[in-house]
Order: sequence, then C-alpha cells, then structure tokens
Amino acid sequence: MTLSADTQAPDGAVEQGMTIVARTQAQMVRRRFFRHRAALAGMIVFGLVLVLAFSSIGFAGIPGWWDQSYITTGALVNQGKPTLSLSPFSIGDHPFGQDDIGVDYFAKTMRGVQQSIIVAFLVGIVATLVGAIVGAVAGYYRGRVEAVLMRVTDVMITIPVLVIAAVLGRRFGDAGVVPLGIVLGLTIWPTMARLLRGEFLSLREKEFVEAARAVGTPARRIIFRHILPNTIGVIVVSATLATANAVLLESALSFLGLGVQAPDTSLGQLINEYRTAFSTRPWLFWWPGIFIIAIALSINFIGDGLRDAFDPRQTRVRA
Amino acid sequence: MTTPPNVPIEPRKGDVHTYDIPSTILDSAGDVHVGLQRDAVRPPSEDEILRVQDLTVEFPTEDGVVHAVRGVSYSLREREVLGIVGESGSGKSVSSMAVMGLLPKSARIKGQILFRGDDMLKMSPRKQRSLRGRKIAMIFQDPMTALNPVHTVGDQLAEAVLAHELMPRKTALARAKEMLDLVGIPQAEARLRSYPHEFSGGMRQRAMIAMAVINNPDVIIADEPTTALDVTVQAQILEKLLEVKDAVNAAIVLITHDLGVIAGMAHRVLVMYAGRPVEIGETDPVFEEPRMPYTAGLLGSIPSLENSGSRLRPIKGTPPSLINLPTGCPFSPRCPLADEVCRTAEPELAETDGGGHFAACHHWDRLAAVEDPTVFFRTESETKA
Amino acid sequence: MIVFIARRLVISFFVLLAATFIIYVLTAFAGDPLEDLRQDNSPQKLTKIAERSERMQLDVPVVLRYLGWLGRIVRGDLGVNRDGQALAPILSDALSATLQLVLAATVLAITVGIVIGIISALRQYSGFDYTVTFAAFICFSLPLFWVAVMLKQYVAIEFNNWLKDPVIPPVVIGALALLGGLIFGALTVGDRRRRLVAFAVGLVVSGALFTILSVTRWFADPGLGTPLILAFGLATAVGFTALAAGLQYRGPLYAALAAAVIGAICSQVLGPVLADPTWLEIGGLLLLTIAVCLGLGYALGGLQRRQAMTAATLTGVFTGAMVFLDRMLQAFAGFSASVRHRPVSTIGARTPNYQGDFWQTGLDSAGHLLLPTLALILISLATYTRFSRASMLEVMNQDYVRTARAKGLPERTVVLKHAFRNGLIPVTTMMAFDLAGVIGGAVVTENVFGWRGMGFMFTKGLQEVDPGPVMAFFIVTGTAVVVFNMIADILYAYLDPRIRLS
Ligand SMILES: Nc1ncnc2c1ncn2[C@@H]1O[C@H](COP(=O)(O)OP(=O)(O)O)[C@@H](O)[C@H]1O
Ligand code: SF4
Ligand SMILES: [Mg+2]
Repeated sequence: MTLSADTQAPDGAVEQGMTIVARTQAQMVRRRFFRHRAALAGMIVFGLVLVLAFSSIGFAGIPGWWDQSYITTGALVNQGKPTLSLSPFSIGDHPFGQDDIGVDYFAKTMRGVQQSIIVAFLVGIVATLVGAIVGAVAGYYRGRVEAVLMRVTDVMITIPVLVIAAVLGRRFGDAGVVPLGIVLGLTIWPTMARLLRGEFLSLREKEFVEAARAVGTPARRIIFRHILPNTIGVIVVSATLATANAVLLESALSFLGLGVQAPDTSLGQLINEYRTAFSTRPWLFWWPGIFIIAIALSINFIGDGLRDAFDPRQTRVRA
Repeated sequence: MTTPPNVPIEPRKGDVHTYDIPSTILDSAGDVHVGLQRDAVRPPSEDEILRVQDLTVEFPTEDGVVHAVRGVSYSLREREVLGIVGESGSGKSVSSMAVMGLLPKSARIKGQILFRGDDMLKMSPRKQRSLRGRKIAMIFQDPMTALNPVHTVGDQLAEAVLAHELMPRKTALARAKEMLDLVGIPQAEARLRSYPHEFSGGMRQRAMIAMAVINNPDVIIADEPTTALDVTVQAQILEKLLEVKDAVNAAIVLITHDLGVIAGMAHRVLVMYAGRPVEIGETDPVFEEPRMPYTAGLLGSIPSLENSGSRLRPIKGTPPSLINLPTGCPFSPRCPLADEVCRTAEPELAETDGGGHFAACHHWDRLAAVEDPTVFFRTESETKA
Repeated sequence: MIVFIARRLVISFFVLLAATFIIYVLTAFAGDPLEDLRQDNSPQKLTKIAERSERMQLDVPVVLRYLGWLGRIVRGDLGVNRDGQALAPILSDALSATLQLVLAATVLAITVGIVIGIISALRQYSGFDYTVTFAAFICFSLPLFWVAVMLKQYVAIEFNNWLKDPVIPPVVIGALALLGGLIFGALTVGDRRRRLVAFAVGLVVSGALFTILSVTRWFADPGLGTPLILAFGLATAVGFTALAAGLQYRGPLYAALAAAVIGAICSQVLGPVLADPTWLEIGGLLLLTIAVCLGLGYALGGLQRRQAMTAATLTGVFTGAMVFLDRMLQAFAGFSASVRHRPVSTIGARTPNYQGDFWQTGLDSAGHLLLPTLALILISLATYTRFSRASMLEVMNQDYVRTARAKGLPERTVVLKHAFRNGLIPVTTMMAFDLAGVIGGAVVTENVFGWRGMGFMFTKGLQEVDPGPVMAFFIVTGTAVVVFNMIADILYAYLDPRIRLS
C-alpha cells in the first residue's frame, strides 16, 4: 500500500483535536438545559412548591406534617395576622395568618396550590394529547382532514379562550378539579395542533419518511414511530407553556367565580373570596398571588430552558 | 460538516480534456466548452488594487474560539481574476466578508486589508461604508435569499446607487435599467417593477451581478456565485460575469469549489485549507504542477477523460476542527505523504519553483518528483491498473 | 386583492356562525337558569318560574332556540335578557367603554411592544435586552386580576393622595435618577467606558429633571408651555430626520425643523380653536398638519424629497400631539379639583354625570382608562415584545440584510427598510390571537374595576345562564376578532408581495 491514501487519521491527530464531539441528542438537550440558569432556578422553585404543597397538608387522605386543616375554623390569633417572621426565623402557629373565620391560611393556600397545580397539569396533558393527535393527523394526511381541522382552529381562534373556558367552567366548575381540568384542556388544544401540524407538514417530506412509505409501512406506524419522535421537542416545550398558561387561566376563572367553587378552593378562588378584605387583611390576598406567580414563572422558565435545549436556534415564541 | 469537493458534471464525448486543466464550463448549447475564457478578457494591469495581509479572523463561541482564517495574504491587480478554492469551512467566505467589512461584531479581525494602499480595517465606519458597494462589491452564493422579498428589483438596484450618490430616483432607476440590460435580462424596464420571487434563480443572480456592478466597482467578490444554480445556467452566469467585469473594468475574486471554473477563468489561484492559504500561484502552473498534496488531491477528485469510468476519488477524511487545531500541518491527518515532521511543525507558505508559485508543504519536492501528483491519492487497485 | 378579501369574508362569516352556535349551546347547558327562583320562597314563585320559562323558551329544544335567535339577529334584533329588558340599549352602553379599553390596550401594546422588541433585538445581549426578556417573563406569569387589584390599591389610592402635595421625596428622586442612568447605560453599545459615561449622563439628566418637577410642584398644575413644545419639537425633528434620511443632507432636516417651529407657533395662535374643540375639529387639525408637513417636505426636500416628507410629517404630528398634551395638562388642575382631587379613578368607565369641556371629559376618561389599560396591556405587551424581538433577530440574520449592508447602505436604512418590514410580517399573524386574549382580559379587568361594560354583561349573563347577553357580547367580540383577523391578513398581504399575487 505504498502510495495509497490511508484514511485512518493517525492516533496523535485524534488526540490533538480531531475528535468530533459526538453526543446523543438526549445528552445535548440535558447539557443545554442545565446551562440555562433561569430554567434551573425554575425547576428548583417549582420542585419546592410542589413538595411543600403536597407534603404539608397531605393529599388524598394521606396526612401531611402540618397539623392544621384547611377547613376547620379556630380562634383568631392576633387578628389573623401572619405569624411568619424571618428574623429571628420562626413559623408560628399560622405562618400565613388566618382568614376571617379563623381557618389557618397556610393550610388553605397549600390546598389552593394543590388544586391549581392539578388543574394546570390536567389541562396541559389533555391539551397536549388532543392537540398532538389532531395536529399529527392533519399534518400527515393533509387534504380534507386538514381543511376540517384548520376551520375548527379558526372557530376556536374567534372565541377568546377565556370566554369558552368561562362557559365550560360555569358548567363544570363545581364538579371538582378533575372535570374542570379536562374541559379546560379541551379549550386550548388548537394552539398545539397548529404547531404540530406545521412540524408534520415539513417532516413528512423528509427522506426517512419517504423511505418508510416506500417500503409500505402503515401510516399509523409512520406517524407514531417515525415522525412523532422527531417532534418531541416542540411537544414538550409547548406542553410546558400550556401548563403555565393553564395556571393563569384557572385562577382567572376561579376569580370570576366561574371555576373552582367554594367550599373547595384554588388560588384564584382564594383571591376572589377575599378581594373585598384587601384593605383590612392584605395577606389573604398576597399569599395566593405570590404562589400563582411563583408557579407560572417557574414553569415558564422551565419551558424556555427546554426550548433552548431542544433547539437553540429555534426562535419561535409562544402564540 | 464536510462536503466533498464539488464535482459538478460529467465530461462529454470527444473533447480533449485532461485532468490538468479540467473545464466544466458549458456553453449555452450545453456542449462542453473548452478554452481559456480568461484569455478573452482584457489582461490585468500591474497595478495592485487590493492587498490582504496576514488576515486572521477568530470567532469566540461557547465551545471555544473558532480560528476561521489564519494568516491569509494575497494581492489583486486591476482587472485580474483571482480564484479561491477549498473545501467548505476552509475560510473562503469569512475572509472575503472581512474584506467587505460584513463580519458580525463578535469577530476578532487582525491584519491589514489595503484598498489602493488604505487599510480598510483602520478606516472610520463611514469611509468603509463609502467603499462598500461602490469600490468593492460582492455577489453571494444563494440568489434565492440574497434579494429582499418585499422590495422590487428596481428599488433594490436603485438604492445601491442612491446609497453613494445623491440623485433623483428616476436617474437611479434609469441606471438600474441599463444594468439589467447589460446582464441580459429581457424587458428590463418592466422587470424593474418585479419582485424577486417573480424571477428565476438565474435571473436573480443576474440581478445580483447588475447590483454589484451598478456603481462601477474596482473589485467584485463573487462567493460561489453559481453553486446554488441549475447546472444549465451556471456557465451562462459565469460568462456574463466575465463580460460585465470587462465592461466596468473590475477585478474579480472568484470563490468556488469548482476547479474547472477556476482553470478556465482565473489568472491566479489561491488554495485554502483549514483557514490558511496552502498554495498560490498562476493558475496553469498550480494546476499542472501542484506543490501541495491537498491541491493534488482536489485535482484528483475531478472527473476527466483519463479516469472517466473509474471511480472519483474525493480526498478521504474530514478537515480538522477549527477550534482545536492539531499541531503541525493541518492536512497531515489526511495526507498520504505525512510523516513525523509534518505532525510537529506547520509548514510556512514558501516559494517553490519560482514565478510566484508558493506552497505550504514540507515535502513539495516529492510532488515535483513525479509526473502526475494525483497518483498519491489513488487506491492500490487503481495504481495497479 | 379584492377577491382575496371577499374570500376571507365568506370564510370568516361561516367561522363566526359556527362559533355562535357553539357558544349558544354551551351557554344554554351551562347551568340551571331558574336556580335563583327555585330558592325563592315568595308566593309568586311559580308564576315567576312560568314567566321566565316562557320568555326563555325553556321548553323548546336548544337548537331551535338557537335558530330563533339567529333569525332575530339577522333582522338586527338582539332580543331581551331573562328579565325582559331589551339588550340593544344595554349593549350600546357597554360597548363604547369596552371598545375604548380594548383598543387602547391593543394599540399601545402593538406599538410599544414592537418598538421595545426591535430595540431589544438590535441590542441583543445588552443589559436592556436581558431586562426586557426578564420583564416579559414576569408579565407572562402575572395573574391579570391580581395585578389589577394591586394597581387599584396601591397606584390609584396612593398616587391620588400624593397628588395633593406633589413633592417627590429625595429617595424616590434618587431611585428615578438611578433608573434613568441604567436605561441610558443599558441602551448604549460600546465598551465599559462609554456605557459608564451614558450612565452618568442619564443619572444627572433624570435626577435634575425630577428635582425640578418636584420643586416647582409641576404635578399640581402641569403643562408644557410653548418653549418646551418648541424644544421637544426641534429635538424630535432632528431625531426623525436622522431616522428617515440621515443628517448629512440639509433638505429633510430643514423641512422637519420648519414643521416643529410651525407647530410651536400654532400652540399660541390656535388658542381660541383649542379652547373647547370637538373630536372632529381635532381630526381636522391632524389632517391639516399632515398636509402642511407633506408640503414642507416636498418644497424643502430637494433630492431627498421622500425622506423629507416622512421626517416633516412625523415631526409635525408629534409636535401636534405635544400641543394636544399641553392643553390636556393645563386642564388638569381644574379637573382634579372637580373630582375632589382623585383624578385616577378605580371604579367605572366614567364619572357619572360629569360635566366639563372637551379637555376635562377627556381627562376623566383617561383617568378611568389608565389603570385598567395598564393591567390589561401587560401580557400583550410582553407577547408583542418577545415576538417582534425574535422575528427581528431572525430577519437580521437573513441573506438580504447582508446584501443590503454589502451595498454600502447606512445601518438605519438596513434596519428600517430591509429588516423592519420583513420582521413585521410574522407579527401580523400574532394580532388576531392577541386580540382574543385582550378581550378575555377585558372581561377580568372590568370585573375588578367595576365597569358595566361588555365583560360585565358576559359574566352576568353567564352566571344567570342567559344566552341573550352572552350572545350579544359574543357577536360584538367575535366580529371584532374576525375583523381584526382580516385587517391582519390584509396587512400581511400588503407587507409581503409573495402573498399578494397568489
Ligand atoms: N459567525 C461565526 N461564528 C463562529 N464561527 C463561524 C462564523 N462564521 C463562520 N464561522 C466558521 O468559520 C469557518 C469558515 O467558514 P467559511 O469561511 O464560511 O467557509 P467556506 O470556505 O466554506 O466559505 C467555518 O468553520 C465556520 O463554521
Ligand atoms: S506538510 Fe506534510 S502533511 Fe502537510 S501537506 Fe505537506 S506532506 Fe502533507
Ligand atoms: Mg462559503
């Protein structure tokens, strides 16, 4: 092999920088996500809120470490003012204070956080499932299926989300958070469907899909095995953002009295219940507000980190 | 990341067509058109118009500093056609964007870019801008995206004039029409009011040429002007470029990875590898007697009558990472002649046979010793056959 | 183009029709419309139930009720609510307040959002950019109703109290000065030294400004006066000329300066006309201003005629706006006294039975609109900012922007002519989405601020399971969304010639 060009790079060169950084997609995503400081902070905050809300007052019959309930009334201590103090740090009996009939407001707020998070996640899951399937089918089959979907989307755009959500909330609000979450999910899927349809339209023209079609792979398999995995970034990101929006949507509805109904509670419902007490007991208003912002902001940051992680060049903004 | 050197088309029947001066230029009838087109244009004068001296460009990025251009020097005489070849990623575009002053702010640029003796890197932004588009113009690779979709072609041509000279819009539009005529766009008057999407790719590139020459520039930098075009119109565009260049008396820096085009059009050629010039000289000597294995490898990867039927031989391996360059000759991992010396010391660009022929290779004399330097890149079986 | 619009109209019509059906049916099923009467213990309970059931046709299937409603709406009859009151007068009362709110919020969000987004994109990775990005995330995450309640509590009440004796405390002046410095610094590009200088300048300028405002008790009886109008006018003349034409040529600059001077003179001369004008007169003056300025630009522009006309017109309109503002401010002291020194209102869309001249009634509705608009605008503002920033960043990387630079065009032309217009194209698609969001937000905002607007009509109707008011609300808002959608489409087609032809 005297004069042939040996293609194997000499070992020395490899060490000196010829290495091509080959990471798997998952590794890249993880690396970029953890480099996104705001997203990391969002993760931590959201994790803390989650743990606090579900461990403190317990959930579904499992008792938590907090000894007060969100229902039982008690004697008003210090006019119900919060006993939480930062220096010296002490929690006191009612860290978030009490409402006008002496219910421990920390327990009540935690219950609100639980309910709001459950609704938000249900909304996120339902909207993602429906939106992804509809978008995938429309984008893959095109033609009449697509036309029908686009008209449905047009109709949904014409109706402000809050309006249709309010109408449904009026009907399902007092049925509990699970039905409420599901019907609200059914109002906001079109955004996801549109996004996914766009992805499918471009992916279905790619070689690997052509190849799969050429060898006679059934459509269902192409959609779920070949294309859908490639849209995971878009799905995950918009599911996250949908969840963040759902937190705000639920609280707005409950605030209007069209979402979660008393005696059950949610963050928005708390604000609505005590809005007139603002000048006398502002803390009844502050705590739920702070938790809504903390949850929505941290989920939004997580979503932004995921977007950067999945596609650093993607500039799409939430619509 | 890497694309093999461009191998545009198969040669056609009958023509005398050997590897040393391969020409892939087609005339409009589609026949292979052999002949040195550069001889058809006015010869360059001795006056130097543009000199690039020790140009380095670095981009700090998250993953490290990208050494995109590492010490490029060349000069350009009036009316000369200088070809620049190299694999993609070798720094051709970055070095010409540096000349245009169009690199992003993050770029760290060193060296000198002398236009008629004035260093453009030291000029005020305003002075730089007054040269850009007026004295030095550029034609980009992809005409489909290089024109603004929301303005008419006439408007985009006229504004190139108005950017440098105050005159009534009508006058500027009249000049635009003249230019469209010059580059061979029919019904120029009406076409001024067209939008880019109403043009075909070839027509858009003609419009780009018109835009480049509308201010009678001294230098035109054409960065792969035909790569994105249909093979059938590539030759027409190049011919038009040469014709127009003569009309305005400009010099051209022609970037391409089509060696045939260079062979036919360029007076001199500069070969780039990993951000460095590795060989420079008059076109014929460089192509007939390459003194750098990379150049020889490029030439060997071109289809010619001699090896038609046998497999093409693109150079194997990939160019090195520009972030973390290996020591020694950057080509050494792919070079059939590489030895210990090559892996420790990076060769300087040095004169080889005289006559302005420079190469950066420790072993250029081994190439000089054989008749056909591409032989180093043949596989065993081919060598036996 | 006409075919395009007509086709859109037809599609929109059917889309709207489908939407009304959905809303009607869902509302009808949203609960029990007789709920309150069932708990009624009065002797007329049964008669009342029978009467309402009769009026609401509760024994007729929903689809037929919908068709009946549709038949009436086609004849322009909105029908009655469940208590038998005609809806048309209620709607017309509610309409103007809500439309004002929604339009003000939308227009402000679009213009301010796009401007901030573009600056943010052009100054990518600057302090300004990071701040804007962070602020946008906060806005996306704020519950609107919560913000509204906070604004009502803190801004309105505290601000009104402060206005009685408008001295800015030194700490606040310090903070405002710092903020001014930071804004200047964040907007400046260049090395650390240049940014520090800009910071210092911003600090001193805004510090001095607020000190003067405080010492002179400007806020008690605000106003600009002709000298200030002239100064601002001349400054904007230079600014707009720099944007529209660059400062190297005289023509456009002279035209713009002339426009500013004429505007300032008019603030003196027009006294009688501006004493108590009508909106029609104001509109007429605006048209006149534009005409005069176009003339100025044409006459003085020379070879840069087009740019001169743009610069002069922008300057003229801006100076006119300053004159308008000056008048408004001058009316402030009187107005404030007439509303017992509580100019920023927290309840309703206007002071009931308020009597005053053009400027005072203007201030009254401005005082009522201020906080709701502020609350309502946040999310849209963030949306437009983020969207136009992203769009602009993408456009600035396009090949044709590089081509524009390669021609030797000044950066101003590259940005305004080549990047900006392309960057706007995707933003137009945002508009219809966003308007729907703003309408939803208006429902919440009206609730907090106690407006008896469309949002109130909707929530009340919905609580009472009464399709009449809900549908009246939806007919208006749905039509607004459809119309806006269409405007967006037309704008899109105008901006992008590739669409125009197909
Ligand atoms: N703005 C930039 N930031 C970082 N790297 C860049 C940038 N522009 C170009 N490069 C890198 O510089 C190298 C040379 O690119 P280029 O000059 O475009 O190659 P070509 O010879 O194909 O024209 C490439 O590796 C490219 O990735
Ligand atoms: S220096 Fe060595 S490795 Fe580099 S091209 Fe010459 S022979 Fe090959
Ligand atoms: Mg290139």
